[in-house]
Amino acid sequence: MRRLSHRILGSMFALAFAQALPALAAGADTDADALNLESAPATGKATPAGARDTRIFVEGALGNASQRYQLNSRDIWRASFDISHTARLGTGLRAVFSDRLDQIHPRDPGLDETVNSLREAYLSWQPDGGNTVVEFGRINLRYGPGYGYNPTDFFRDGSLRALTTADPFALRENRMGSVMLRAQRLWANGSLSVAYSPKLANRPDTDGWSLDLGSTNNRDRGLIALGTQFSQSVSSQLLVYKEAGLSPALGANLTALLSDAAVGHLEWSRGNEPNLLSRTFALAGSNATRNRFVGGATYTTLGKLSLTAEYQYNGFALNQSGWAALGASPIAQAQVAYLRESLRLQDIAPRQAYLIYVTQKGLGLKNLDLTAYLRINAEDQSRLAWIELRHHWTSFDLTFQLQQHMGRPATEFGILPDRRIMQILGTYYF
Amino acid sequence: MKPILLFFVSILLGSGLAMAAPSAEEILAASDAIRNPGRSFSVTVTLTEFQAGKQVDTSTLTSYSRTQQQGGQFASLLRFVLPTRDAGKLMLKNGNDMWFYDPTNKASVRLSPQQRLLGQASNGDVATVNFAKDYKVALAGEEDVQDGERKTRKAHKLALTAATPDVTYASIEMWVDAENNRPIKARFFAESSRLLKTVYYRRYQPQLGAERPTESVIIDGLNPQSVTLMRFTDYAARTIPDTWLQRDYLPRFQPE
Repeated sequence: MRRLSHRILGSMFALAFAQALPALAAGADTDADALNLESAPATGKATPAGARDTRIFVEGALGNASQRYQLNSRDIWRASFDISHTARLGTGLRAVFSDRLDQIHPRDPGLDETVNSLREAYLSWQPDGGNTVVEFGRINLRYGPGYGYNPTDFFRDGSLRALTTADPFALRENRMGSVMLRAQRLWANGSLSVAYSPKLANRPDTDGWSLDLGSTNNRDRGLIALGTQFSQSVSSQLLVYKEAGLSPALGANLTALLSDAAVGHLEWSRGNEPNLLSRTFALAGSNATRNRFVGGATYTTLGKLSLTAEYQYNGFALNQSGWAALGASPIAQAQVAYLRESLRLQDIAPRQAYLIYVTQKGLGLKNLDLTAYLRINAEDQSRLAWIELRHHWTSFDLTFQLQQHMGRPATEFGILPDRRIMQILGTYYF
Repeated sequence: MKPILLFFVSILLGSGLAMAAPSAEEILAASDAIRNPGRSFSVTVTLTEFQAGKQVDTSTLTSYSRTQQQGGQFASLLRFVLPTRDAGKLMLKNGNDMWFYDPTNKASVRLSPQQRLLGQASNGDVATVNFAKDYKVALAGEEDVQDGERKTRKAHKLALTAATPDVTYASIEMWVDAENNRPIKARFFAESSRLLKTVYYRRYQPQLGAERPTESVIIDGLNPQSVTLMRFTDYAARTIPDTWLQRDYLPRFQPE
């Protein structure tokens, strides 16, 4: 019996050793195998300057939204054409054009089903080797390191014609710039920018093909921004913003490297202006001085997971009791109107909110990325959850998105008619 | 008289020999100077990724590099060219000041070293970095080693250990050609002594005044079946002002 067991054990060791041999040999040959590989041929598309001046993609989306207060669901679809082009007109002189066309079904209330957004169209002149920049035209000028809310992004209001995603990062891809004259001077570890944006129209235009200057240039505005890099780990921007009829507003933002794997960000602004409720219902004489604030941190693991947690505060927004009072008011759909105005202004609707934002590169598959976020209204505890799975091929992305609104009926996300939105997107890059 | 003469001759010869033998620091600095031009430059980098010998991905970017005013390390701005999805995106690395800029949403996002390490940009660190600035080095012997063209070379083996806490790799083993100080091969280790990457420097060609490696073969230490080839083409001397290497310049960056 013992001899038999020895024989079996001996056979097992021999088998294991025989199986291990190729593995050992493979380990030794790994470098040799790698050295046999050949690079892909250098593509002719890459210019010596490394620049491609035109970027075009088309995107189609098909989905379904289940309704909170109705039994039936509604189908949704969208087709989009997106183009950006930079033309070099001479040394240091270039023209930039960026446009997006969306066909959205069902259409957003008050808008055509076909919506064109001229995002940017401007001339840029860099006469001094890039140290000085002068630009004129419709420019998408954006500030602020916050993920879900940017109090120092003073040109954010009225910038979105079509809402095609709930992802705060992707949402900014659609935003229109304001017509402005802008200059910037750079020095080592700092910069100073000045922008003036004049009033060109009185009110937004619902025509789908309109330039919609009434959304982006409906009052005279000016901004001065001073960027400073204090060290390799800390940098900031100080901003002074002034618009016609209001006192100057101040803003500051800061980013810092907290550790090898963590980055922090802060954003603050303070101004004297009507609160969000007054803006919604055009109430006069209700200006007050308040703060807006964002603070957050991003941690990245070795497993390619990035996690961001953010606290958001808007002193101009309603607190819980104000929100409840609005719900009890005789004005029909008053809370919905308030939420619409906060969306138009790209402000947060509650006084306080939290955001958790997660990205995971290579989720099981090399080219499969996960992006997800949870937005929590700290006043009424309602929540919006959004998950995206995106697979990349060379020129094509296939994406699945799920958006869920959670909360009691009279809360920020509970009041929305859609309970759950699911859609599949295909994006082709030319 | 003869013994005294012999004594002085031997001392002279001995000291002469000692002077002729370069130190580990000199070998490493000479090797750095071969990998990197001593001035601001741009180069097009084509990355080809393989899994188990099969090509799974390819991308192209242009790297703009200059030495920092303080410390002498390289600062670089990477501009993605292909795939088209990523065209125009920028990644800035100026020491620990690291930013990612996406022109589609105008967002400049500060990156942590770990965040940056996840992408292909980290492979650029093994290609464009002055090791002599950030590592202590010792000569670990002379060895015959197979180079990237599968030829056996007589090499100095160098042992590098991080001199500052904020470098990407805790230690590096490097083999440098004893004949001409060309880097042949390097192995990069984490603080836990885990092998992160093995890199072969090959396809030496005249670029910007010296014979430089125009391809790196990067073998993943954790998964040796994962191999990335970095091909360097279109080397060009360029003026890259200090002012370019900061967050506020990224939205303006438009190389002629």
